[in-house]
Amino acid sequence: MNIETPGGNKQEPGPYQPVMPRTWWLQHRYFRFYMLREATVLPLLFFIGCLLYGLYCLSLGETQWQHWLAFMAKPWVVLLNLLAFAASLFHAKTFFELFPRVMPLAPPGLMIAGQWLATLLVATGLTLLLGGWL
Amino acid sequence: MSKTINIARYNPQTDSQPQLQAFQVDSDNSTSVLDALLQVQQQDPSLGFRWSCRMAICGSCGVMVNGIPKLGCKTFLRDYPDKLTVSALAHFNVEKDLIVDMQPFLTHLAAVKPYLINAEQSSQPHRQTPAQLAKYQQFANCINCGLCYSACPQFGLNPEFLGPAAITLAQRYNLDSRDAGKAARMPELNSKNGVWGCTFVGFCSEVCPKKVDPAAAVNQGKVASASDFIISMFKP
Repeated sequence: MNIETPGGNKQEPGPYQPVMPRTWWLQHRYFRFYMLREATVLPLLFFIGCLLYGLYCLSLGETQWQHWLAFMAKPWVVLLNLLAFAASLFHAKTFFELFPRVMPLAPPGLMIAGQWLATLLVATGLTLLLGGWL
Repeated sequence: MSKTINIARYNPQTDSQPQLQAFQVDSDNSTSVLDALLQVQQQDPSLGFRWSCRMAICGSCGVMVNGIPKLGCKTFLRDYPDKLTVSALAHFNVEKDLIVDMQPFLTHLAAVKPYLINAEQSSQPHRQTPAQLAKYQQFANCINCGLCYSACPQFGLNPEFLGPAAITLAQRYNLDSRDAGKAARMPELNSKNGVWGCTFVGFCSEVCPKKVDPAAAVNQGKVASASDFIISMFKP
């Protein structure tokens, strides 16, 4: 039996073979949430593009570097990067909640709290280090 | 209290696709979808659906209720005050009305060798500590109802994907201290239609009537598959 062939317009009596529409993910709240989780990568792509552009500008010299700094301060760039930050936090939240189910090393609540604490410590440490306070 | 229930009817002899048909049923606080279907069958004996135990253990009465996979016996009309539409389980071929062809699911299930494979043949009992039991017990509660397959968009898009229940059972036996068949199961799990076909949508675990959490099992399978790959690199 060929179960891969989608159809509906069958020639002879037999089972109905359902077709999965391209819009399947719009049909249910749960699937929309899943697609939102997956879509958090899109604003992140923009942020990564910004970083790569910055690296390229740095290699070109100080004028271009200043140009990049001005570019990063533009309101729409700041807005998109804020969106990327919010998307990362949202993705982190979903990831941290899924992780204890994939590697059940400790009670889930403890693992989730531990992951947020580690994020906070690393983020604070990096900020202090890169900001020159350490 | 009378209630309208819409049922997706399909006659393989005459229909090209399922059509909704409305029926009136008597319902009170304890009327399940399965009870309603049995009432409808009194009105129209040609209605086809599967059922057996009426207590969420046989796993036969899986249907889509308003587009969500549910066991008919464990779903109650009182929770659907507005619209109630019952159709056949998604992602499976419909044989008649609410009866689907479960063969793809059963084939995937058999492919992962879901039984104890003993390295040592012994007539003595195989002892197991409570801690060893706890490792797989949750995954052993699967009743093979197939709801997780209807919830899984990856199985819908690629019917060759082993799917939630089969991978969960593979994991269940791989985690069992009495089992020695992991090496025989890993090639299936490592294949492109194995654990890596899962993108952790997680809806399978939402719809599971026995709280087996197949999404967790599948993704634990990814850890097992990755470590299996790394270990194999160091073997001659």
